Amino acid sequence: MSNKQLPQEFYTMMEELQTLDFVLVELTLYLDTHPDDYNAITQFNEFSHARRILKNQFEEKFGPLQQFGNSYSDYPWNWNDPPWPWQI
Amino acid sequence: MKNFTLRKTYHPYISPFDPCPPVREKTYYTPAQLYLGYQPQNLEQFSPKEALKAGTLWKVFYDPYYGPNEKRRGPYE
Repeated sequence: MSNKQLPQEFYTMMEELQTLDFVLVELTLYLDTHPDDYNAITQFNEFSHARRILKNQFEEKFGPLQQFGNSYSDYPWNWNDPPWPWQI
Repeated sequence: MKNFTLRKTYHPYISPFDPCPPVREKTYYTPAQLYLGYQPQNLEQFSPKEALKAGTLWKVFYDPYYGPNEKRRGPYE
């Protein structure tokens, strides 16, 4: 079968995505109990914006991250190509 | 007070019939949120990369567990 090797960039971008996601999760939980914290909300929106950009960049290079319309698809239909999340 | 620490101690009762050498003072660590209650705004934060490693976004909640005889490397003694 194809012993497909992913470039180092895949892993650095994935870790960057994970870092942004963690901050977003923390801020979401914080904002649930602090709805009127203006600085936290601006920080949340900044990170959300940065995450969106990084996601687009990632998907242009390595294919869709999510399904059901959350990610564009390449041709041919390849959302089920390895590596799966546990294979990374 | 500067020498605030999350580490607290208690002194168990030592029985005269205790076969093993007594441990007179035992320590335990208390979580930071006990002292914080409702989290104030604009607390100091880790950078995103550090936050991912530390497991929390706010420095005040960073509290890794170290054994009683392990040297604590965290910001809190």
